[in-house]
Amino acid sequence: MSFVNRTAMATASRFLLLRRLSRSLKLSQTLVHSNSSRVSSNLIHKTIEPLDSFWPIGESHIRHDSSITTRSFSSQSQGPASIDNSSVLQEDEFHRLANFTIHDLLEKIEEYGDNVEIDGFDIDYGNEVLTLKLGSLGTYVLNKQTPNRQIWMSSPVSGPSRFDWDQDANVWIYRRTEAKLHKLLEEELENLCGEPIQLS
Amino acid sequence: MMLRQAAKKALGLTSRQSTPWSVGISRLYHENVIDHYDNPRNVGSFDKNDPTVGTGLVGAPACGDVMKLQIKVDEKTGQITDARFKTFGCGSAIASSSVATEWVKGKAMEEVLTIKNTQIAKHLSLPPVKLHCSMLAEDAIKAAVKDYKEKRVKTNGAAAAGETTQA
Repeated sequence: MSFVNRTAMATASRFLLLRRLSRSLKLSQTLVHSNSSRVSSNLIHKTIEPLDSFWPIGESHIRHDSSITTRSFSSQSQGPASIDNSSVLQEDEFHRLANFTIHDLLEKIEEYGDNVEIDGFDIDYGNEVLTLKLGSLGTYVLNKQTPNRQIWMSSPVSGPSRFDWDQDANVWIYRRTEAKLHKLLEEELENLCGEPIQLS
Repeated sequence: MMLRQAAKKALGLTSRQSTPWSVGISRLYHENVIDHYDNPRNVGSFDKNDPTVGTGLVGAPACGDVMKLQIKVDEKTGQITDARFKTFGCGSAIASSSVATEWVKGKAMEEVLTIKNTQIAKHLSLPPVKLHCSMLAEDAIKAAVKDYKEKRVKTNGAAAAGETTQA
């Protein structure tokens, strides 16, 4: 009797364990999806499932940059392999443009730092993140957001913003405010540090 | 790993066993973030088809953050009586949405539209790189209000049409 009980319990706990495992696997798959920009279409298809059941809301409710949502959910409506990149920068092109922009800013702002007297001025590029410290005036952070082909900036003046590459104007632009990355930085840095800076 | 724990937590899959995580990061995050992360307020969902409910869903799974914020509105007064959230994302994103649900409760719809990401970021002392999370929370509030208003227009439109046919 007790043996049967024990076996039943063992089976039950094993079942529970398996369920937990499969749940966390599903989750980690989702996270693989979120962190990696190169995901096989097969994986996207799988990962959409838990998300889909978790967010039982029509895709029309998703409000953010429409380019992101179109891409993220295109596998849902048109099958896994139909991610439309025609309106979106190719990944290598994005990296080329974004890396150039970030390194160019690093160089110019570094030089600017030698000409202004700001306590705690420090600019650093590491782990693909550009961090500009202006002492008590605050900190800027710029980073690439590859899945949506954007450069994200966090500014102590204007807060967070997300820049898309405008292929016609050849500038990084924040669609919500129409602000251009270089121009915004020029204005803010001049106001903060009291010296004009030419970035573009 | 951190993300997975956060996601699990948001999904309600873990109990409070994940506290060692927050102990580990207490040097990095402000205590308000830890507090909202460990004891998230108003986690859950309302029926999105309920006409008194507005649903805001922002972010994109590909970017690692999805935030759903729902408001329940008193149709007579236009006051937000209750709020719920579910967030898939980092500790700051979870804390930002948790704060957002607390702040919208009991307020008029027009009033919550003035809640700014900077206020949320300040309350949680978010580091510069995490300001984007507070922005997502602001967007979620706006999206929820917009959804409620659109629903109301639809219902009113249908009601008005009904009256016309009756008359």
